[in-house]
Amino acid sequence: MATTRNVNYVGMFKVAGLGSLLLIVGTVILFFTKGINYGVDFRGGVEVMVKFSEKVELSELRELMKNNQVPLSQLQSIGDEAQNEFLLKLESDKGDLNAVSNQVSSVLTTEFGEAKFEILKNDIVGPKAGSELRTSAFKALAWAILAIMIYLALRFDYKFAPGAIAALIHDVTIIIGAFILTQKEFSLQIVAALLAIIGYSVNDTVVIYDRVREIETTHPHLSTTEVINRALNETMSRTIITSMTVLGVSVVMLVWGGSVIHDFFFAMTIGVILGVYSTIFIAIPMTAFYEKFSTKKTA
Amino acid sequence: MAKGWLFRLSLLTVLVLASLMAIAPTFFNLKQESSFPVKSKINLGLDLQGGLYMVLGIDFNKVYREEVISYARKAVATLKDSGIESTVGTLEATDPMDPRHSIILTKETDRELAKEKLREFYNYPLRLTLDEGNTLQYGLGRDYLREIEDTALSKSIEVIRNRIDEFGVTEPEIISQGTDRIVVQLPGVKDITRAKDLIGRTAKLEFKFVNDEISPATLNEWLEKAKKAGVEYKKGERWSDYISEINKNLVNDLPKGYEIAFSKTLNKNTNVVTDLEPYLVEVGAPLTGEELQEAIVRIDQQQNRPYVGLEFKPQGAKIFEEITGANIGKRLAIVLDGNVYSAPVVQGRIAGGSAQITLGAGDYNSTMMEARDLALVLRAGALPVELVFEEQRVVGPSLGADAIERAQMAALVGAFLVLSFMCFYYKMSGLIATVTIVLNVLFTLSSLILVGATLSLPGIAGIALTVGMAVDGNILIYERIREELRAGMTPFEAVRTGFEKAFWAIADANITTALAGLCLLNFGTGPVRGFAVTLLIGICTTVYTSYFVSKVLFEIYLGQGSKKSLSI
Repeated sequence: MATTRNVNYVGMFKVAGLGSLLLIVGTVILFFTKGINYGVDFRGGVEVMVKFSEKVELSELRELMKNNQVPLSQLQSIGDEAQNEFLLKLESDKGDLNAVSNQVSSVLTTEFGEAKFEILKNDIVGPKAGSELRTSAFKALAWAILAIMIYLALRFDYKFAPGAIAALIHDVTIIIGAFILTQKEFSLQIVAALLAIIGYSVNDTVVIYDRVREIETTHPHLSTTEVINRALNETMSRTIITSMTVLGVSVVMLVWGGSVIHDFFFAMTIGVILGVYSTIFIAIPMTAFYEKFSTKKTA
Repeated sequence: MAKGWLFRLSLLTVLVLASLMAIAPTFFNLKQESSFPVKSKINLGLDLQGGLYMVLGIDFNKVYREEVISYARKAVATLKDSGIESTVGTLEATDPMDPRHSIILTKETDRELAKEKLREFYNYPLRLTLDEGNTLQYGLGRDYLREIEDTALSKSIEVIRNRIDEFGVTEPEIISQGTDRIVVQLPGVKDITRAKDLIGRTAKLEFKFVNDEISPATLNEWLEKAKKAGVEYKKGERWSDYISEINKNLVNDLPKGYEIAFSKTLNKNTNVVTDLEPYLVEVGAPLTGEELQEAIVRIDQQQNRPYVGLEFKPQGAKIFEEITGANIGKRLAIVLDGNVYSAPVVQGRIAGGSAQITLGAGDYNSTMMEARDLALVLRAGALPVELVFEEQRVVGPSLGADAIERAQMAALVGAFLVLSFMCFYYKMSGLIATVTIVLNVLFTLSSLILVGATLSLPGIAGIALTVGMAVDGNILIYERIREELRAGMTPFEAVRTGFEKAFWAIADANITTALAGLCLLNFGTGPVRGFAVTLLIGICTTVYTSYFVSKVLFEIYLGQGSKKSLSI
């Protein structure tokens, strides 16, 4: 059975904070150098996923599209090679995307015949819809963070809000950094994952704040740093066990869940790990730091 | 034991039974005529069962333009009735959101009287924007602009619904999004191309007279000129954009009040235009599809070819009779969505109110199919506006089947891991947690069915995550109970304190997650929305099961408080 240890988490804030800061700066640099690989949802364009019933070479397909003037911007095979599944990305800055997408199926029909291939998925996003989705995605993220900030300020104390928000922004930024680094596609699903992570990450933080408040009332003589360290230590076993269960589910889904939800759980897995880290080393200690800072100012 | 436990236990039993009944039709194939009270199955999202998801946008600029042109024509007619001679002037659309159209008075002295008359008749739809010499210029009234937007949206939805109903899709969803968007979801649709064509087609039917004073040779000369100036149809471009560009380019050559339209012959297999014939037709139309009573497929017995027979409403029949009577010898073009279908010469006044649309070349079956779809869209009514496909997602049925299988399997494995860990780590109490988690999933699924929400692939992910996160409630309580036991409390007291102290931590944690979920719900469309709904429902069921249900189960487990030890 776990016994309550006494680790000085608040003391580690400076080191952890520096590490996190480096990761965030790294993300910002990546953002401007490599850039986010937006999926069709946000970039606009056409994506066609096609499965052939017999072997088709990637180069053969590329050649075919080129010869028929299909504006192919990217072609990749999905999953096992034996599955003969391909993803075609088409771009067309002006004109009718619908026609561009129809062009693909008519080229395939003439070349292979209707029975030999199947369109698994076909996404068409107009440029206007694409940029609007992008704006509303970032708005949704901002709103979520704002709503949580207001709730924390009302339910607890304004001194808790900055730490929690810093942690949330920290988590979201670094996950986006991971997506830029791996050049995985940033799609609507990933935004959903980010919002789920925001909800989850603050979950941990709130549980500990709750304990901080309880200790503050039962032990009024303790200093803020002591209260916070004590709250962190007392809830540590819960924090670890809960994170392990969520992480377990997330990793299983990542490995066996299939290609469609793979990226979603890639974000989730990183998010869960970051969420715990930022709760323990950023959100909660920052409260102590913030309090010290503000009392110094008023004193 | 705490007061009221019997009530809470009965409530739980009732909920479990109700949920089992709700999910039964989804998991067992019930016969249609079976007497089981619940019939509805879980709604699978498009990503799981295949189908078509579309976001259609309304091009309001074009609507405004057409409205202002049509009102300018009406105004000239009204003035004529009051004895004021005038002609339709030019369109000015520097601000596409607020186009203006001028009316040229024959006598400048009529100006005040004309303004007076037009204010009397068109005070609401028109507003005076310029008043100079013999020219009066009008834009659309501010309130009228708003009204156009509202009616265009609701009418479009109505028309699309009519068309889909005739097409036959089970459980289509057609909703508005914002002020200028329509979202259409057609689960399980097989013939995607046909569905798209039926929905996106404006089906605007117009009868316009052809100006035959300009010879076809001159027309072709003009088109050559436009081509040299760079106006040419490019692959992938919208046809209607091309036509409006040509007319803009040739505005100085074309006689006033006339524009170019084409009759298009397509190769049915490749969809490539094989023949284009230009026509010079009136800008507005004296008679449109709005006056249609009925459109049905008929067969020409002599040539054994299908065509679409049209019947006008009484008012339309009257107009048709009048205009044919006044224009004997001219050609009347039947224009559908800007393309000339046919242009027969008017032989004499046509009474009785019927007309027909003959279709292009092709074999019997494909002509029959074309006639059927055309009659369908004409019957269902024209869209009041042109719709633009802004977003469109097609999922083939086999992708969904494979994805469901894999995600379900992984979710089960994940849940199994978590629950076995709970049983191992918390012993008997872990078993209680397992029961609550199973109930949690049961309640989530049955709630999804009862509120008619859609289960999408991210939704399955949501349920898997709910399992992972729901144990958090149990863990919070158990860790607290362990702490209190270590502090020397009796099992009964420790359990009571544990539940009491953990309550707010559970509530706060779930409320913050719910806030993020609400933002997601507000932002998302389609599958993402499905994820948000599942997440939100999961939060409600989690709070209920991991707190209230656990509590009842613990009370049963502990009995009257006589237990000396607790398996936790």
